[in-house]
Amino acid sequence: MNTEQLISAIKGKDEAARAQAWMNAGPVGVEAVAPLTEVMASTDTETRRAATRALWKIVRHAGRPGAEQEAAAVSAKLIAVLEAGPPAGVAREIAWMLSEIAGDEATAPLGRLLKSTELREHARAALQRIPGAKSLGVLEAALTSAPPEYQPAIAVSLRCRGVDVPDVRNDKLKPTRQTTVRKGGK
Amino acid sequence: MGQQKRSFRRRDFLKGTVAAGAAVGFPYYVPSGVLAQPGRPGANECITVGFIGVGGRGRGLMHEMLGGLCKKGQARVVAVCDVDEKRLATAAREAGPETDAYRDYRYLLERKDIVAVVNGTPDHWHAVQTVHAAQTGKHVYVEKPACCTIEEGKAMVAAGRDNKVSIQVGSQGRSQPEAYLAHRYLVNGMIGRVNHVECFHYPSPIDDKPVPDSDPPPDLDWDFWLGPLPWRPYNARYLPGTFRWLLESGGGQIRDRGAHVMSCAMWWMGADGTGPVTVEATGTSPPKGLWDAAVNMHVTYTFKNPDWVMTWTQAPDAGPRGEPRKAGEDKITRDGYGAIYHGDKGTMTHWGGDGGTWVERKVREWVPPAGAKDVYKSPGHYEDWFEGIKTGKKTIMNIEAAVGVANLTILGNLSFILGRKLKWNQAKQEIEGDEEARRMMSRPQRYPYVL
Repeated sequence: MNTEQLISAIKGKDEAARAQAWMNAGPVGVEAVAPLTEVMASTDTETRRAATRALWKIVRHAGRPGAEQEAAAVSAKLIAVLEAGPPAGVAREIAWMLSEIAGDEATAPLGRLLKSTELREHARAALQRIPGAKSLGVLEAALTSAPPEYQPAIAVSLRCRGVDVPDVRNDKLKPTRQTTVRKGGK
Repeated sequence: MGQQKRSFRRRDFLKGTVAAGAAVGFPYYVPSGVLAQPGRPGANECITVGFIGVGGRGRGLMHEMLGGLCKKGQARVVAVCDVDEKRLATAAREAGPETDAYRDYRYLLERKDIVAVVNGTPDHWHAVQTVHAAQTGKHVYVEKPACCTIEEGKAMVAAGRDNKVSIQVGSQGRSQPEAYLAHRYLVNGMIGRVNHVECFHYPSPIDDKPVPDSDPPPDLDWDFWLGPLPWRPYNARYLPGTFRWLLESGGGQIRDRGAHVMSCAMWWMGADGTGPVTVEATGTSPPKGLWDAAVNMHVTYTFKNPDWVMTWTQAPDAGPRGEPRKAGEDKITRDGYGAIYHGDKGTMTHWGGDGGTWVERKVREWVPPAGAKDVYKSPGHYEDWFEGIKTGKKTIMNIEAAVGVANLTILGNLSFILGRKLKWNQAKQEIEGDEEARRMMSRPQRYPYVL
């Protein structure tokens, strides 16, 4: 299967062919990344799902041991799509994909995503997962530049990475959600 | 069994205390709290309990406690909590007129009068809420599987240990009467040395009625339901109950029922605290719809020193159907899952492994000869937990054991997702030689729903 066949089957109406296409997308590789991200913005739920799952297959295939060059190529293409400003739903998925296979090259683009209130939690998660000094540096820089209400979230990631952040609170145990249900279910 | 010994010692102590009281003219009644160990309720103390997540399974757990330990005066349900207002109102009504209702479990955790919590929320909340409860000093009963990621499991173990609370995980198969019989049968070598535990289960379902994303229903706090999970739009196929068929929140049959069947296996094999050296899964994904957990699946877990293999097979025709039972015997109501134990002198089959655990006739009819080994017999899963709360003894499905079982299911799914064999280092609690898989040992959580 090549990219054209993959995209055609995913966009098509034949459910069985679509399923076979996304399930076997892994080896199609980096060439299919950008076309799939376009289909991921489809208004048809099942088409969008199939494209997303196909791209995940490519990411996980590229992430196998010994395929570092493939992973780097897929990562680079994902970053290019991310930098072009895709719809939020696509950017979300890309951030999580990068969290699995990307290296230093993804840290600055993900750092820029921390400025988006809609996407920053996905970017923070990815930066927390990507090992190395660069991702740590981006998180440390974000701690000072982030708005005060978001600093506790950044601090959580830094603590997970072994950094002591004593001056930023963690509100994880602070209740906030109110119910209208009274005692005894009244 | 260490647990039995500790339990007996406590009873001996109780007997001695009561006898001493009688000798000096005190009544036999032992007041609440008198025998309490530091930080633990007394032997006769009624334990105040809060329930977090009172929809499907959580509601069932609540009724089990209301009809059992509450009726006996050993427990009192004082608060319930849910992110769905309708379910919350129903549960609060059913629990009684004095029961407080909360949407946010953290209000419940703030209450000093609540000693213990029962957590029946979807899987993606188990670790965070267990850790938070432990950090506020509550004893915890949490539904299985314990955790969704390797790192969540480590945090749960640490929280239980550091805060000295009793955690029981809801793999209640270990507490079933016929599980005791099976365990005793195996420990006495009736099928010889077991070299293969063949777990079987029917497939996970396919979402054959997919729907587009939509606005959540007005009674549901969707954002709070997601909690630690990455945010995404609501879709009606996520819940109720169907979260089980998504890898991130439920993980499919291998995590739902694997946490039962494999729990029995690890307990009966004396393998708690051990782990496989390799895990290799194959399977089929659902062709469409929201759910993505494997439909059919085969996983091989290879253990070393001692050498044995556990397999998990999800398929329409997996495993034997339950054997017929005589009138008056406990009927096998779920024979679509269980395990066959292959030993060098024979086999043993059980069905179920959860609240219903059944074992084949030869095991039930086996009469232990003089000198046969005995094994721990749970007084019931809640009751065993309450003993843990009051005495500090390890519960039958303690958090260390439960995380070990959950890790098996997590590793099985990871191998399926990645399409490759994984190497597991039990001592380090790490996947080795696969950077992507290593990163997937954790899933960063959405703030503030963090460990």
